[in-house]
Amino acid sequence: MRWNKAFKIAVNIIVHSKIRSWLTIIGIVIGVAAIIAIVSIGNGFQKNIQQQLGGLGSDTISISSGFDRASECPGPRCRQRPGDAGAATKNPLTNRELQAIRSIPNIAAVNTVVSQSNQVYSLGETATVNIDGVDVKVWKETTTAAMNQGRLLTSGDINVVVVGSVIAKQVFKQPIEVNRPITINGRAFKVIGVLKESGGFGAEDRKIFMPIETARDVFNKTSSQYDSFVVKVKDENQVTAIEAEINKKVDVVRHVTPDTRDFTVISMKTIQERVSAILTGVTLFLGAIAAVSLLVGSVGIANTMFTSVLEKTKEIGIMKALGAKNADILTIFLMNSGLVGLVGGALGTTVGVGIAVLIPKLGVSFVQGGQPLNTDISSQLIIFTLVFSIVLGMVAGAVPAYRASKLKPVDALRFE
Amino acid sequence: MKVVIQLENVWKTYRMGKNLIHALQDVSFKINQGEFLVIMGKSGSGKSTMMNVIGCLDIPTKGKLYLDGKDVSKLEESKLAQIRGEKIGFIFQQFNLIPTLTALENVLLPAEFQENDEEKMKQRAVQLLDFVEMKERMYHTPSQLSGGQMQRVAIARALINNPEVILADEPTGALDSKTGEQVMRLLKDLHKKEGKSIVIVTHDYIIAKNAERVIELKDGMVIKEEK
Repeated sequence: MRWNKAFKIAVNIIVHSKIRSWLTIIGIVIGVAAIIAIVSIGNGFQKNIQQQLGGLGSDTISISSGFDRASECPGPRCRQRPGDAGAATKNPLTNRELQAIRSIPNIAAVNTVVSQSNQVYSLGETATVNIDGVDVKVWKETTTAAMNQGRLLTSGDINVVVVGSVIAKQVFKQPIEVNRPITINGRAFKVIGVLKESGGFGAEDRKIFMPIETARDVFNKTSSQYDSFVVKVKDENQVTAIEAEINKKVDVVRHVTPDTRDFTVISMKTIQERVSAILTGVTLFLGAIAAVSLLVGSVGIANTMFTSVLEKTKEIGIMKALGAKNADILTIFLMNSGLVGLVGGALGTTVGVGIAVLIPKLGVSFVQGGQPLNTDISSQLIIFTLVFSIVLGMVAGAVPAYRASKLKPVDALRFE
Repeated sequence: MKVVIQLENVWKTYRMGKNLIHALQDVSFKINQGEFLVIMGKSGSGKSTMMNVIGCLDIPTKGKLYLDGKDVSKLEESKLAQIRGEKIGFIFQQFNLIPTLTALENVLLPAEFQENDEEKMKQRAVQLLDFVEMKERMYHTPSQLSGGQMQRVAIARALINNPEVILADEPTGALDSKTGEQVMRLLKDLHKKEGKSIVIVTHDYIIAKNAERVIELKDGMVIKEEK
C-alpha cells in the first residue's frame, strides 16, 4: 500500500472523529506550547541577565568584610563563626589587607570604598540613598559607568559628588543636574557629574559617589578602615586565579582559615556563572513540568487510539476482507496517531511562539525598574518539539495500531 | 473447465470450552470458472464458516484449499490478504460499506491496497458505479443511500479489482423482495456478461433457483449436491 493512500485513510479517520481528535490534539497543544514558551522565556531571561552582568565588568573582583552565609556555608559549624551577625560586628578591612592585595601581581588597580546609607536632601525632597566614598585616583578605572554630564571626581575635590543615573532621574521628582546643590548629613555638596546607565544590575546607578576622605569626614568613619575593595585585574582570564590568591593572602592577614573566613571575595565572572547555573536549573525544571503535560497529552493519544481501534474494529475487518494487509492497517493507524501529534505539535508551536513573541511586548520585568523580560525563541527548539510530538504520537499509537493490525478478519467482521 | 477453488477434505474445528465444535467436516468440492454456485444451509449448518474458508478469511483446521491450483490453506495472513484483494470480491448481507467514505471512495477502497494506476482505477470505479446504476449518487455516503443502493455500491466494490470469484453472503438478506430481485438480476448479469464465478451463501431457496449448481450443508457436511 502506498503511503499517500494510507495517509488519505488516516486523515479520513481523524476528520470523522472530530471532537475526540480535537480534544486529543488540545492535550498536545498545551504541552508543546508550554515547553516552547517556558524555554524561550528562560533563555531570554538568561541572555538578559548575562547582558546586565556583563555591564558590571568581568575583569573586576570585589572584596568586602563579612561573609555571605546563605551561599557559602559548608555545614552547621559555620553558624557560630564570628563576623556573620551583620554589619554591626563586621571586622572592617584595613590597610594591611590593602597592602596584601596590592602585592599580588597582575592587578591593575585597587579602589578602596567606604559605604553608608544616608538621607539626601535636594530641592526640598528627601530620599535615603547609598553613598560610596571612593579613591578618586583609581575609581575611574574600576567603574563601568560612563559620564553623562559633567566630570568625574579628581584629587583635591572637596564637597562635591557624582550621582548615578537612577538617582539623577528617578529618585527625586526634580531630576538632579550638574551644579545642583544637595545636602547630606547637614553638609552641602555640589553635583559635578551625572553618570550614564551602567548596564549592570544598576548598583552604580543607585549610588552617590564622593571622595573617600570626604565620606569618612561626613559619616565619622575611622581612617584606614574600609568597607570594601574593588580590584581590577590586567587580564580577564586570570580573574579566577587572582580571586584565589586574594583569599589566601587576606586569610593570612586576618588570621582566619577558609572555614572561619569573615570576608567575601567575589568576581563578576563568578556571579555570572552562578546566576547562569541557577537560571539553567530553573529553566530545566519548568521545562520538565511542561514536558510532563506533554506526556499526559501523549497518554491522551494512546487512549484515543485504543477507543478508535475499538470503534473501527468492524471497518478494520472490512478493509482486511477487501485485501488490506496487517502492515497496511498498522501504517494507517500509526499515521493517524502521528498526524494527531503533528497537528498538536504544529498548533502548540504556533501558540508557544505566539506567547514568546507577545511577552516582551507586554513589558513585564522581574526586577522593578529593570529591563523588560525578553524571550529567545530558538529554531532548534521548534524543530525538536515538532519532531518530538510526531514521534510521541506514533509511540503512543504504536500499541493500539499493532493490536488493530493483528485483528483476525473473521472476528473483526463479526464485531458489532 | 478450469477449477478456480477446490476444497479437499476440509475441516474447521472450534474449541468452545472443553468441547470441540466441528463447523466443517471433511468437505470436498470444486468451483469452476464462470460457475454460478449456491451454498445452501440452515442457520448453524456451517455455511458462514464455509464462506470464510472459501474467501480466505480463515484457514482450514485440516485439509487443503486450492485457489487457482495453488494451496493456500497454510498461508500467513498477509499472503491471504493479498489473495483476497486480487482474486475475490466480497458482497455481505449488511453491505459493510465504510460509513465515512462516499460511494465512489468505498468502491475504490479494495484498489487502495493494491499496486495500480490511481487515475485508471478511478475511471473504472465510475464505470462500475454506472453499471450498478449508482453513478448519480457516487458522492453520497452510505447513510444517504437506501439498502438496495448500498448493496449495489457493494457489488461495484466487489468488482473493482476484477476478481475471479464473487463471494456473496446472503446478498438479499437485508433487502425487501423487490430490491432483492434487482440485486440478483445484477449478479446474474455479471455471471452471464462478464463470466465471473459467483458463489452465493444463503438459506433462501428462491435464490437457489438462479444457480447452476446447489450445494446443501447440514452440520458442517455436504448433504446434497444438485445441478
